[in-house]
Amino acid sequence: MQPSQGTLVVALAVPFLAAAVTPLLYRVLGERIAYFGAAIAAVAFALIGTQIGTHGTVTIPWIPALDVSLALYVDGLSLLLGLIVSGIGILIFTYSGGYMHDEPGKAKFYTTLLVFMGAMLGVAFAADLLALFVFWELTSVSSFVLIGHYQDQADSQYAARKAMFITVAGGLFMLVGFLLLYTISGDALGTATFRLAGSGGMIENAGAMQEALRSAGLFVPVVALIAIGAAAKSAQVPLHIWLPNAMEAPTPVSAFLHSATMVKAGVYLVGRFRPLLSTPEWELVFAALGLLTMTVAAILAVAADDIKELLAYSTASHLGLIIAGFGLQSVYGAETGAFHILNHALFKAALFLVAGIVAHEAGTRLLSELGGLWRDLPITAAVAAIAALGMAGLPPFNGFYSKELLFEATVYTAEHAGGLWWLLPAVAVFGSIFTFLYSIRFLSLFFGEKPDALEHVHSPPLTMLAPPVVLAALAGIVGLGGVSATFGVHLGPLEHFVDRVVEAVGATDPHFGYHLPTSVTPAAVMSAITIGVGAVAYPSYGRIASVIERLIAIDPLRPNFYYDGLVGWLDRTTIVSGTVQTGRLRTYAIWLLLAVASLALAGYASAGVVLPAVSSIVADPAMVIVLAVAIVAALAVTRAPSHIAGVLTLSILGFMVAIFYILASAPDLALTQLVIETLVLVLFLLVLDKLPEFYGEVDRTRALRDGAVSAVVGVTVFLTVLISTAGTPGQPIAQYFIERAGVPADHGSTLLDFGGGGNIVNVILVDFRAFDTMGEISVIAMAAISVITLISMRERGESQ
Amino acid sequence: MSSEPRPTDGDTTVIARTITRVVVPIIMLVAIALLLQGHNLPGGGFIAGVLTVTGFALIYVIYGLRYVEQELLHRTVVPRSLPISEGAAETDVDPPIIKEFGEIFTVGLALAAASGIVAMALGFPFLSQGVWFLAGVPLYGHMEVASALAFDLGVYLVVVGGLLTILAVVGAE
Repeated sequence: MQPSQGTLVVALAVPFLAAAVTPLLYRVLGERIAYFGAAIAAVAFALIGTQIGTHGTVTIPWIPALDVSLALYVDGLSLLLGLIVSGIGILIFTYSGGYMHDEPGKAKFYTTLLVFMGAMLGVAFAADLLALFVFWELTSVSSFVLIGHYQDQADSQYAARKAMFITVAGGLFMLVGFLLLYTISGDALGTATFRLAGSGGMIENAGAMQEALRSAGLFVPVVALIAIGAAAKSAQVPLHIWLPNAMEAPTPVSAFLHSATMVKAGVYLVGRFRPLLSTPEWELVFAALGLLTMTVAAILAVAADDIKELLAYSTASHLGLIIAGFGLQSVYGAETGAFHILNHALFKAALFLVAGIVAHEAGTRLLSELGGLWRDLPITAAVAAIAALGMAGLPPFNGFYSKELLFEATVYTAEHAGGLWWLLPAVAVFGSIFTFLYSIRFLSLFFGEKPDALEHVHSPPLTMLAPPVVLAALAGIVGLGGVSATFGVHLGPLEHFVDRVVEAVGATDPHFGYHLPTSVTPAAVMSAITIGVGAVAYPSYGRIASVIERLIAIDPLRPNFYYDGLVGWLDRTTIVSGTVQTGRLRTYAIWLLLAVASLALAGYASAGVVLPAVSSIVADPAMVIVLAVAIVAALAVTRAPSHIAGVLTLSILGFMVAIFYILASAPDLALTQLVIETLVLVLFLLVLDKLPEFYGEVDRTRALRDGAVSAVVGVTVFLTVLISTAGTPGQPIAQYFIERAGVPADHGSTLLDFGGGGNIVNVILVDFRAFDTMGEISVIAMAAISVITLISMRERGESQ
Repeated sequence: MSSEPRPTDGDTTVIARTITRVVVPIIMLVAIALLLQGHNLPGGGFIAGVLTVTGFALIYVIYGLRYVEQELLHRTVVPRSLPISEGAAETDVDPPIIKEFGEIFTVGLALAAASGIVAMALGFPFLSQGVWFLAGVPLYGHMEVASALAFDLGVYLVVVGGLLTILAVVGAE
């Protein structure tokens, strides 16, 4: 069934529209704005929910004249992500109503959260690579704002910047991959397209795309580029380092962005590209990346003392599991990824919300200071139990089934490929043991003796308690579905839904079902080993943690060592601050002008532009005189002894150009030039007496350098004028303007097809090309706003 | 312009002040004429806007910033509690006027956009323009009203508001 265009567009637009009015609504609603956000998420959730069962592309024409449209694609995978984003969004907004009670910057918080939700829905439903990229980066930007929510704290600033650097840099790699795909699609599909999914897209012609990529030798680079983008976003080793720092954000953000949704974008990307690029190379890259991350991050989580840090590493680890699943080519791999996206979102969001409750009510997040909380927080403890046991992969909780699937997929791959591939199941078990360990450690903060230092712990408000309860209940139902399926009663709709997801990531004719193991399979044995070894090792948790701590104290083993080293070096070194970022306007101007000039010249060179032959120059003597005066004035500017003389000489040049326009019968241009020239002159006079009266002595090397820069810029402009005016398009548009601008001989009382003005230039500005003018006046307004913010408000930001 | 112009005090010659007093109204009148005739003769919102600002700039240069803001505008403009004035309150120049300039270009931008949206509401593409020919207007008789004038007025207001903002802010420095 085709998805409904209107429903999807509304679901996508509603969060953005709501974000636009949130700052205003906040003044009216105050804190209750959280429930407004929850309502918006509920609307999106309901709208997306109506699309379950549909499949296909809808396009919304945007600029029909240029054939630009926004295409949305609906299939199991996009619905899964869309429902997770909006569904967990409802709970997160509700939870925030309680959590953000005493926190600053609520209007900003909710606005950004809504923008993020919209962007994430955009990622889920975008059918074009470009749209996908734009929404993708928008999630990075909103994540930056949310991580840096406590904007005065150095830790938040560090964390926000780090997340921004890594995810945006990864996104740029991904963009290069997208552009390569776009180029290749021209060979494979006939016409180059950004359309990824849906009819006429790359995935539909995966075979041809793969062949074209291979023959161009670009297959591995494209896989690698997309892997880097996905790894940066989904916190895969070694790019995982931003995620633990991102826990500086308020807990609802951690639960929403950094466990359930945004980090799933990378995973989603891998799942989305799986049908297009799934090959042995793909398997090697993603299975290795995923399993490595799963193990390393699980080990790091064991050493963590902060519960949010533990959960952050755990998130990276589970994302590794999903990526490994999508990496493996067998249908089990696809099922692993598809099912674990759901399971992980349910239990991890619940655990983060539990962590938020603990931090909020007990006042600390350190494992070593917490214990025995179940007496004070019984419901929270129950939620934590269901979610943490699911995370540990203990039957019959939900995480168990997807982990079984991973084991099954690794064994399947190993059996078929043999050799070193047997490492996969071994690593999977090894990593899972650590997962088991830290999950039980997390749970332990509710049991055992309560430390004396811990004061009485309050119960959380209902708004903070309900969301994790809902999530845990859902996780519990998924888990019980496996138990009942063992006895033949399947959770039909869920299994069917996962089927659609599995289909979307490239498996044909899937029959997804999950249940408790009923016979001794390799996967069941692996699960038994995991749980058995984990249970035996748990009593020596402290010793394991201290070994890991000693290990990660070795600098060269820490990715953070390299990151901090690089960033610190950039801060200290004078290479950048001495040459590019000097803080002087003239340096920036030089770099900017040179960059523009070299880009333009390189563009001409690569396009093989030929200079037009100048046949003959016929010039009016008046023009020659005017231009000669202009040239003399230009030369005189460089010799001017003082500012006053320089400005006045420069005006001569300007006024000569104005006269030139008059001679060339361009009165509008001449008028504009005249008034601008006058205004500039007056403005210069306004500021002149603030400047030093005379120029200082000019350094010879600097003069030469400046001369060279101006020569380059001048040559570039000259060439541009020559080349662009030499172009003779087949159908000049000028005739159309001439015919349409004026008032036709016979006309009615209204005139719509014609410009109806005697001044063609003005009619072009306000009618034919009004959109351009609109853009230009927006730029003027923006410049004015920038001036206000930079100059008038500069003390304001710091004093707050 | 022979004397050294000082933006913040009234230390300018009588000649300059007198000429400015005479010339500025003419500049404004020309600017408005350029705006209105722009559709059929040389002119238009941008040129008119820049010319208007030139007139203001002349007053700034000759009479000084404080004179313009306190003597000319303070009476008519009620200073509101502004976000801008909080930070800049220490400086002796009162910047509320920037807020009014800001409103000018906001209104201009809104007007330009609205003129486009009206076209959309009537079922034409964004920013389509039309012309109405009115007959029997008093004094004029026959008159041509272009919807583009609204857009041009928006351009004018944005240019005036934007440039005056820059002028006032930079001038206050």
